[in-house]
Amino acid sequence: MSDHDHDHDHARTVKPMVEEVTDFEVLEIALRELCIEKGLFTAEQHRVMTEFGEQIGPTPAARLVARAWLDPEFRELALREPMEASKKVGVDWLNPTGFGTPSDFYAFKILEDTPTLHHVIVCALCSCYPRPILGNSPEWYRTPNYRRRIVRWPRSVLAEFGLELPEDVEIRVQDSNQKHRFMVMPMRPAGTEGWTEDQLAAIITRDSLIGVALPKPGVTTNVSNKTVPAVRPIVE
Amino acid sequence: MSTAADRERQLALASRLNATYPEIPQWPTPDLVTSEHYWAYLKTNHDQGAQLNAPEPFLEKEEEQWELMTYVLCEVLGWAGIWVSEERRRICNVDVGLPIYLGLPYYTRWLWSVGKFLLEKNHITWAELTDRLAEVQDRYAGGLDGRRPEAQPKFEGDGSKVSRNRNHIEAIGKGDPAMYAGQGGAAKFVAGDRVTVRELPAMFYTRTPEYLRGAEGVIAEASYESPAPEDETWGREDAAPEWFYIVRFKQSDLWDSYHGNRNDSLQTEIPERWLRAVG
Repeated sequence: MSDHDHDHDHARTVKPMVEEVTDFEVLEIALRELCIEKGLFTAEQHRVMTEFGEQIGPTPAARLVARAWLDPEFRELALREPMEASKKVGVDWLNPTGFGTPSDFYAFKILEDTPTLHHVIVCALCSCYPRPILGNSPEWYRTPNYRRRIVRWPRSVLAEFGLELPEDVEIRVQDSNQKHRFMVMPMRPAGTEGWTEDQLAAIITRDSLIGVALPKPGVTTNVSNKTVPAVRPIVE
Repeated sequence: MSTAADRERQLALASRLNATYPEIPQWPTPDLVTSEHYWAYLKTNHDQGAQLNAPEPFLEKEEEQWELMTYVLCEVLGWAGIWVSEERRRICNVDVGLPIYLGLPYYTRWLWSVGKFLLEKNHITWAELTDRLAEVQDRYAGGLDGRRPEAQPKFEGDGSKVSRNRNHIEAIGKGDPAMYAGQGGAAKFVAGDRVTVRELPAMFYTRTPEYLRGAEGVIAEASYESPAPEDETWGREDAAPEWFYIVRFKQSDLWDSYHGNRNDSLQTEIPERWLRAVG
């Protein structure tokens, strides 16, 4: 009989007696060293890309949608020229290389929800995601569980996120499998009349921009409350 | 040094991995393999859409330092014209085999793809990789002792003779696929056209999911011009760009068993070679 009743996973949270380097770390270090010694890229390029990778996150995407809710002209711009609208919230999709991030390409589209249409994004092939404006994708977005099921059973999967939409709302799954990157522009919820851009941005969560949640006054966090901790997390 | 018992234990571990369909014996003779099984083995691993899966919890994960460094490594190789993303995607998502695809963490495959690509394109030798792995292991033998693992390149090499692609130069200031605008000829389809997704005997790589093949949909918009992923993935810089389209399907047309709203839909992007006009 166990003498404690908490539910965290010991295999994951208890540090080993001797802290060993992992096979993953050894390989990454070996490859990076060889690349730099062979002149495939410079240490400076690596440094610039690392800085870029560390600063991306969902803040500009939330800001973009909040502004679109408040300013009809900006909303038009966001839907017609999403690259230009991105620049207005500080994201130039050509950064940091002059041609963008190689894996995210340079084709971005914002999908506008209406009272009768709800969008949700997935990449059933890998994890295509609008990284430059929304940061790295969450772990669940990359799993076969989400990728296999959302394209075929969208209503069941959304219900698991706590989102049950009425029958008369069309659910449109956007499987982003080529060079376009997509983001959802959810509808502004009731109860936010008179709010500032900052107040609105706070409730536009990453999950609501993927389409697995709706913005709601008072809710500023994503749906999943379980986070698997890293062995050696990112050093800031 | 491993003992005879250690070796037996590791061999027993390897023997437990299942990698075949249970209804056909391992190492089958040709008469045992049906056409359905043949194509099921050819299915690209990354094509996970619509496969059966019991519901599982949706978890967040804190990123490991090596995972960020792996992402950066892959992106810098793209920046420097060593590869395009489509080459990486095939090597890490498709060429690995299903047991590895499903059996190792996501960024492991990204990392392996770097090693494989550098070897295949003769940027490094097997001995250089192996020696460097052993050297890094030795550096941290006996534990990290409070240290953080760090890359320590001995020098910065001269990259002037390194073979690089045209993409990383031609894309500057334009982005990919905008760099191919005007090179795809006239678009064959316009918004509103009805199309079917062709059922091509696609081998080894494609980004047109199996769950759409044979289905009828409608062109939502012509997206952009670009070489198809089936060319980019093999590094074919001579491939002609073609039009891509966002195609909209009704869920009730895709699935025999769909029970949601009749208007529920799915959109995805498909290159022109995969589409045929209806009627």
